[in-house]
Amino acid sequence: MSKNISYLTGRKSPTDNLFEKISQAAVEGTPTKEDLKNLADEFLIGAANTYGTATFYDFLKPENKGKEVYICNGSACLCAGTQDDLKDNIEKHVSADKIGHMTCLGRCHENGAFNYNGENYSNLKASEIADLFSEKVFSKKDKYTVGYVGTPVLTKEWGSTDDIYAILKSTLKQSRDEVLTEIVTANVRGRGGAGFPMGFKLEGCKNEKSDRKFIVCNADEGDPGAYTDRYLLEERPHLVLMGMIIAGYVVGAEWGIVYIRGEYPESVTVIQNAVQEILNAGYLGDDILGSGFNFHFKVIKAQGAYICGEETALLSSIEGQRPEVRIRPPYPTQQGLFNLPTVVNNVETLAAIPFVMKHGGDHYRKIGTTKSSGTKLMSLDSSFKNPGVYEVEMGTPLKTVLNDLGGGFAKKIKALHIGGPLCGLVPVWMVDDLTVDFESFNQHNFLLGHASVVGIPENFPMVQYLEHLFEFTAAESCGKCFPCRLGSVRGQELLNKAQNEDYKISRELFDDLVETLEKGSLCALGGGLPLPVKNALEHFEGELSEYFKK
Amino acid sequence: MIIDKKIQELQSNGHNGQNGNGSVQVKLANINGRPYPIEKGETILTFLRRHMGENPVPTLCDAPNLDPFGSCRVCSVEVAREQGGAVKTMASCHTPVGEGQHIFTDTASVKRLRKNIIELVLTDHPLDCLTCEVNGNCELQDVAAQVGIRGVRYPDGKTHLDREKDLSHPYMTSDLSKCINCYRCVRACDEVQGEFVLSMAGRGFDSKIIKGMDTSFFESDCVSCGACSQACPTSAISDIFESKALKIAEKTRTVCTYCGVGCNLEVSHSGDEIHSIQAPYDAAVNGGHTCLKGRYAFSFYDHPERLRNPLIKKNGKFVEATWDEAYDLIVSKLNAAKSKFGSDSIAGISSSRCTNEENYLMQKFIRAVIGTNNIDGCARVCHSPTALGMQRAFGTGAATNSIEDLEFTNCMMVIGANPSDGHPVTGAKLKQYAMKGTKLIVIDPRKTELAKYADYHLPLRPGTNVAVLNMMLHYILKEGLEDKNFIADRAEGFDDFRKEILNLDIAKMEEVSGLDRNLVREAAICYATSGNAMSFHGLGVTEHFQGTYTVQLIADLAIVTGNIGRRGVGVNPLRGQNNVQGSADMGVQPHQGAGYMDITKPNNQKLYEEFYRRPLPLEIGLKIPEMFEAALEGNLKAIWIIGEDVVQTDPNTQKVIKALEATDFVVVQELFMTETAKYADVVLPGASFLEKSGTFTNGERRVQRVNAILDPVGNSKPDGQIIVDVMNRMGYDQPDYTPDGMLEEISQIVPFFKGITWERLGKNGLQWPVAEDGTDTQILHEETFKRGLGKVSFFPFEETAEIKEHQKDYPFILTTNRNLEHYNCGAMTRRTNNVQISTEDLLWINPNDAESKGIKDGEMVCIESPRGKVDIKAWVTDGVKPGILSTTFHFPEIMVNNLTSDIMDSQAMCPEYKVVAVNIRKARKVGMRKIGEVTS
Repeated sequence: MSKNISYLTGRKSPTDNLFEKISQAAVEGTPTKEDLKNLADEFLIGAANTYGTATFYDFLKPENKGKEVYICNGSACLCAGTQDDLKDNIEKHVSADKIGHMTCLGRCHENGAFNYNGENYSNLKASEIADLFSEKVFSKKDKYTVGYVGTPVLTKEWGSTDDIYAILKSTLKQSRDEVLTEIVTANVRGRGGAGFPMGFKLEGCKNEKSDRKFIVCNADEGDPGAYTDRYLLEERPHLVLMGMIIAGYVVGAEWGIVYIRGEYPESVTVIQNAVQEILNAGYLGDDILGSGFNFHFKVIKAQGAYICGEETALLSSIEGQRPEVRIRPPYPTQQGLFNLPTVVNNVETLAAIPFVMKHGGDHYRKIGTTKSSGTKLMSLDSSFKNPGVYEVEMGTPLKTVLNDLGGGFAKKIKALHIGGPLCGLVPVWMVDDLTVDFESFNQHNFLLGHASVVGIPENFPMVQYLEHLFEFTAAESCGKCFPCRLGSVRGQELLNKAQNEDYKISRELFDDLVETLEKGSLCALGGGLPLPVKNALEHFEGELSEYFKK
Repeated sequence: MIIDKKIQELQSNGHNGQNGNGSVQVKLANINGRPYPIEKGETILTFLRRHMGENPVPTLCDAPNLDPFGSCRVCSVEVAREQGGAVKTMASCHTPVGEGQHIFTDTASVKRLRKNIIELVLTDHPLDCLTCEVNGNCELQDVAAQVGIRGVRYPDGKTHLDREKDLSHPYMTSDLSKCINCYRCVRACDEVQGEFVLSMAGRGFDSKIIKGMDTSFFESDCVSCGACSQACPTSAISDIFESKALKIAEKTRTVCTYCGVGCNLEVSHSGDEIHSIQAPYDAAVNGGHTCLKGRYAFSFYDHPERLRNPLIKKNGKFVEATWDEAYDLIVSKLNAAKSKFGSDSIAGISSSRCTNEENYLMQKFIRAVIGTNNIDGCARVCHSPTALGMQRAFGTGAATNSIEDLEFTNCMMVIGANPSDGHPVTGAKLKQYAMKGTKLIVIDPRKTELAKYADYHLPLRPGTNVAVLNMMLHYILKEGLEDKNFIADRAEGFDDFRKEILNLDIAKMEEVSGLDRNLVREAAICYATSGNAMSFHGLGVTEHFQGTYTVQLIADLAIVTGNIGRRGVGVNPLRGQNNVQGSADMGVQPHQGAGYMDITKPNNQKLYEEFYRRPLPLEIGLKIPEMFEAALEGNLKAIWIIGEDVVQTDPNTQKVIKALEATDFVVVQELFMTETAKYADVVLPGASFLEKSGTFTNGERRVQRVNAILDPVGNSKPDGQIIVDVMNRMGYDQPDYTPDGMLEEISQIVPFFKGITWERLGKNGLQWPVAEDGTDTQILHEETFKRGLGKVSFFPFEETAEIKEHQKDYPFILTTNRNLEHYNCGAMTRRTNNVQISTEDLLWINPNDAESKGIKDGEMVCIESPRGKVDIKAWVTDGVKPGILSTTFHFPEIMVNNLTSDIMDSQAMCPEYKVVAVNIRKARKVGMRKIGEVTS
């Protein structure tokens, strides 16, 4: 990350965004060198920088040129075993060199997911695929169940847009301090995985002296298996947007950036339309509802890089830099986007704010457990009878979600990967021990994370799943820190060699590798991978032991 | 125990305390169980280094002049918040140290972590240390040994060992199979030089360093500063000199000879060979950085064309002579001229490339031995208006502040200077601050590198500085933005000035300068309201008909807005040559002696006479242009020129040649057979900066030690010794040239050198004035100006005669400048690989002009002025506005100064290089010079 480039690209208005311009230059799948040079000149940086940025992203890198179809290779589709057939089917219509990969399209409930012409599809029959590629008019929306137990904060019916923005109207009548107090009282904790109290971030940013500040919505829900943010972006867009506006009001920021992963094309459209809708309705722009407060949105479509879900990489991405993880401090609230004070929050965190402002911080705090307030969305994949998005109060037994809402397993499952690739692997026999809150998962050496649930079938070799996790990390590592850049590859190689060659892994070496990743990595990608690996080694030792030296 | 005692002392002294009564406690953190005081804001690594020495934990991605980055993780330590608390592994380089922390640097766990990280690194690194160029001086090798790596346990996997070497560039090399992805090169290119040539491409395991858009060093926009090579911990990026190779070499610190920045250089050498040059990190001036001239352009020193013996011209041909023969001839000729035509028939031109001590000796020789004040130096053709203008305004003709003041300024005004090329290290610093948000005003006809980053770029018509500065001053007063208290306390002449400036005809000035009045107004307001504004100027200010007035107006801006006399403000000329400040300080000018004392004042004369033990003349001597006039009139019989190529670099080349031809006896002291040397009767081989000791004074008045690396090549001699030899042969008893001995003499006559001794100068020198006790001065005019009150003066804009008389027939304006790769006449830089990077002088021409004249990029064109014409290759660029042309004067093949005029600054006689009326057309001679064809 270059401080200079942050300053230079920040000289322009957020509407004049380098990253977006690089993305838009990729007309044929990758920008031309001439375009990259011109953009570098325009932003007073080096051609090496714009080129370095473009080559980082799956959908911009030179190898992406000419790709037409992207097949999902996320964990849920892998475990569902749908993708080999899908690839064979698609290759009947499109040559193999025009087929690339996307990691998780958020179709974990249906699987067989792929992207074609900028649209996502899942669970298509061979005949439907034939129709799609024969340029017939074809449309098929995915289906998933939405439900809740307890108090619904996010999934409840919110009424019309005007009904929702009545909350904004009343909020803007309160002082910034009063609004902050409500959010602090509510104890809204970050839903991106870390559980950091949102009020702390807002207060920190509010106290920074700066003419320009930013609210950034991290809608780069890259965790394979998770589609709760996708649900909110597409079905509850105004909760997210209003959460950002209110956050902006508290800290004194006039710009909100919604950074949405490129693998969710529908989400981008819905949010863009929602922004236009409230702009027209007068809930956005200068002097909102006569409050004297100005707020504007910039919606940015990401270009395929899991690491952008890490907040500092995300900031660099918006700036048009290579999204490499930054050191902390400085924290984003001090020096974030363009080196200016910035609050970065996850979609689900922001979406809770309208409820807090409508019902008060005390009311929200009473939902859930003492330490984990509010509700949590969980997404279940197709290994359940009723795949879908479910909202439960924090502290709800996990089995309630899996059995009562999810309808139980649709097939034989031996473990659940809950929270994303960097969270714990829960053996099915431990489900009864867990409740849905940060503390319960931590106590059992798991992590709540995104609370996405991917089922690992009984017959799916655990060693293969571990290799998949290493491979995923290697593919998504930004490459900045040594342990992650090198360790993810070496781990994948070891596991692959043990499966395919007469080779047994030294347990000492493997433990050293896992420890190096865990303790040495700069961010939670390399640092998080060891958790599911260690869970597997502990709980599935029998199955894995044949790959290790005795 | 000693440490414990120290802490007790600190605590009882109230260290870190806010009040002086010792009531505030020292904040402590623990290293391996022992408490040590922490400093606010420091990282754990800095904290460890302060208490444990340079190498408390291994590091790879950390570098002294780069921000913490956190990629290698080998500096990890274990940290507990309190005694017995849970430990967490943290990278020490970017984790702030906290009060009460317990830091463990050496636990089994962190030792294992470091070893395991290095093992991973070695899985993708060639294991060919013994044949590697940096064997023995490789940070990876050191760290691997430190952490105790014995072997790599991983089976063979994917690697990047097949990456090809890049040997495309005259200096820079890379072998990315050796790269460990620490980003130090990328960060150096960004954070130090600000060039953004290097980046990373791809991601994860396959990410790799790129130059430009994955091209070669040569094809990229690399400016060859070498910061990346110095930063690289392995040999992944290096240079042709293998600067990091551990040869059996001695390292000697000295000061660069190429510009007024005064970079410290660390020269690796053995025997009579120089291996390479690096920039020392502890240099106050350049902190680990320098440019391609300082770092790489040294190989001229033993170029076959170096003059190695005295030469005497016999029958129009130079023949080698002994020193005795040369000296005998010189002494007899000078004595003859002196007795027959008087002392004033002799003149000397000293060199700002030479040391203070040599300049002092030359002026002493001319004044005390020859008996005339006909001594001048190249400052005449560069910053003489600065010295005069600033003396008039403040009383001292030198930079008021220091470059490190950039840290404290809010606004930088750069007028008539392109430091990115001319003063690269200062240019890089200005660019860093501009990128990070310090306001930048650039007043320059050309779109310079800094202009691109400026908040306000004022591309005025060359020759209209006075008009633009008057507009700025007009708006400042009109808006009431002057500093009334400062003016009341410290200025004089303001009321008259105010009357004139408020009556300025803005419409007329707008038309004259070609600038929108609102742009000028905004820039003026920015300067006046920023709080701390600092100005920098170069030859684009001085080399004009109204040069001295422009300097005085810059001083007006500073005085009127109170931007002088404290940190982060002031008037800061970017002195051109490495020792142009020093040569003037030493008395190399016809009206002031060593220490700037007016030689026409009898009491000064008395002082000098007593000190030199000789009678001295009271009349002001000849300035360089007057020397040539005198020669053409038959009044100059002998001239001695040291290290200045007047034929190539002074204006109106043909006139200069005629003047030299008209002078009976010409002595030239040089490194090479320059264009000027060809007209000499005796050529004396001087020593380069690498072959002699002494001091240079940089543009911020910093007197620094120059240390001889080698003996002078062949039979050449240090220039100071040559002068001493002749002084003695002409009957003046002058001890042999030694830097400490000379400094001792100088400190007795130059008041502001009073406290300077060779020993005291140490590594980083001292900024004059230096008091008797050795205290130096970073900021001038803090309480009062040297002259008492600051003088505010108004000067109306006046068009130069060059335009008034010739504009009709020669409608284009040519302005000359220099480029990054070459230094002045290029005698040195053209004899290095720099010539492979910049192969020839090029003419900048706006695309509109090129089109209307039917000129294509790269075509030869002919430019013609009332003095002459030259053929030159066109470079079509929007870097200049229509009607303006620009070029350099580094190549004798072009001799751009055939075009320049006799017009000079009306006050200081500095030639007007920056405004030449010319016409342009396609050259009849078709053909383009090939790269590399123009060498020596």
